[in-house]
Amino acid sequence: MLKVENLNVYYGRIHALKNVSIEVPKGQIVTVVGANGAGKSTLMWTLAGVLKAKSGTITYNGKSLPASAHDVAAAGVILVPERRRLYANLTVRENIIMGAFLRKDPEGIKKDLEFIYSLFPILKERSNQYAGTLSGGEQQMAAIARGLMSRPKILLLDEPSLGLSPLYTSEVFKTILQIKAQGATIFLAEQNAHKALEIADRAYVLETGRVVLSGSGKELLANPKVQEAYLGVRHKAI
Amino acid sequence: MFLQTLITGLSIGGIYALMAVGYSLVFSILNFSNFAHGTIIMLGAYIGYFLISWFYSSLAISLLGAIVGAAIFALLNVSLAYIPLINRKAPPLYLMITSMGVSIFLENMVYVTVGSHFYSFPEIFKKSSVSFFGSEISTLDLFALIFSFIAISGLHLFLTRTKMGTAIRAASYDMTVASLNGVNMNRLIGVVFILAGAFAGIAGVFLGIKYMVYPTMGWITSKAYIAAVIGGLGSLPGAVIGGVILGILETFVSVYISSVIRDVFSFSLVIIFLVILPAGLLGKYLEEKV
Ligand SMILES: Nc1ncnc2c1ncn2[C@@H]1O[C@H](COP(=O)(O)OP(=O)(O)OP(=O)(O)O)[C@@H](O)[C@H]1O
Ligand SMILES: [Mg+2]
Repeated sequence: MLKVENLNVYYGRIHALKNVSIEVPKGQIVTVVGANGAGKSTLMWTLAGVLKAKSGTITYNGKSLPASAHDVAAAGVILVPERRRLYANLTVRENIIMGAFLRKDPEGIKKDLEFIYSLFPILKERSNQYAGTLSGGEQQMAAIARGLMSRPKILLLDEPSLGLSPLYTSEVFKTILQIKAQGATIFLAEQNAHKALEIADRAYVLETGRVVLSGSGKELLANPKVQEAYLGVRHKAI
Repeated sequence: MFLQTLITGLSIGGIYALMAVGYSLVFSILNFSNFAHGTIIMLGAYIGYFLISWFYSSLAISLLGAIVGAAIFALLNVSLAYIPLINRKAPPLYLMITSMGVSIFLENMVYVTVGSHFYSFPEIFKKSSVSFFGSEISTLDLFALIFSFIAISGLHLFLTRTKMGTAIRAASYDMTVASLNGVNMNRLIGVVFILAGAFAGIAGVFLGIKYMVYPTMGWITSKAYIAAVIGGLGSLPGAVIGGVILGILETFVSVYISSVIRDVFSFSLVIIFLVILPAGLLGKYLEEKV
């Protein structure tokens, strides 16, 4: 289980995360929703070890997460960053294989690659193409595929539906459920609050760097405040 | 005459390419022009020279020693001078200025320890030549050409076929994401400098054989830098193409026009290139090109 306690993160003098506490239990999908600039990505990059917290603790199974990003990855906490961040100068296949950088089981890598190609057949077709030439949706699949190749214990997904058409968005959310069914733990940041809350076991609402609400996905879906602010539901003022 | 000039040009181009590859490798990862690279080439030349003097006429020992020695110097260079700055997130300009400092420091260390003599390699190949379609081609030129070709092909295979090579190309595009994939960036930077150093060692020995060995010989590598700029800094194929183009053009200018004008020609060429194609033939990075 991943546990974040009283996390404070700054960009210079900008206080981006304020006393954030979050728990991600094993095998669950936990989501954090929030508007632009709420601090979702900041949280993700801090968990991944790229940004440093000023104070607070991040523990994984009781032990604090290592300080450098590559050690966090080695511990099985894998971030699929916002805007995909594929290596445009590498082929699709090379991008996916980069996810297996730390693995030393060629057989397992081959098997996982086959599994990923069965999950995203289009990536198999495009495997020798440069990643920069993929469409946005295909790039998102490749980015998730790269994350999966690391055999994540916890997969951190930062806005996987960003810029995708409704069809691709459903596709991505279906994939997330499939990944969960394989036993992975997922921590998901989304602006597409409706879809995220629907699949989430637990959810947090982040507002200007602070956790303002938390509960099960269903609870938050039913919460009038959440409906108004994030789901576009209008409640009549009496 | 034409064929001979072409082969000579190709072999000089091959040496420029060996040197340019080192600049480009480092630039592709760290986005700065490593001006200490020329000095590492000079150290490689000294190591090669002394080894060949002690083990007379064993070019193999000389080359091997220069490769290993220059790679070690390059690794020390990056670990002591650049990594501390990188870990403090210093911008590339600071690294570039540091590299100039390293270069001056090492040159002067050579003055203090070895002295300012000019050494010339024993004449292993210098006089010998082979006949090739009626042209006399120097064995050294041919050997340098073939050896450069093999070394660069080897590097290409490493970068495209191995895990670490793929990671180097990945990190040249996005270092942060490479670290998310579990790549230890300090280690990767170390590998890049070992490679650049190994190529510096080879280039140093060939330069030493072709010209002389002396403390400021590293500045010849401004030519390699030109080659890297022509090809596109940060691009390996670009470095090779740039080196070969420069080598051939220069040799033809020396032979058919005048050798005095050769350097004027190369430097004019780079200025024209920067004006017309600021990113070089194959480069995609525009910032921090100095
Ligand atoms: N590199 C940076 N330097 C300074 N401020 C930053 C930096 N990155 C983010 N911020 C600020 O920190 C706050 C949180 O940003 P963050 O990217 O975490 O938001 P987000 O919730 O991911 O938003 P979005 O949904 O738009 O991706 C914002 O106010 C943003 O302006
Ligand atoms: Mg974000």
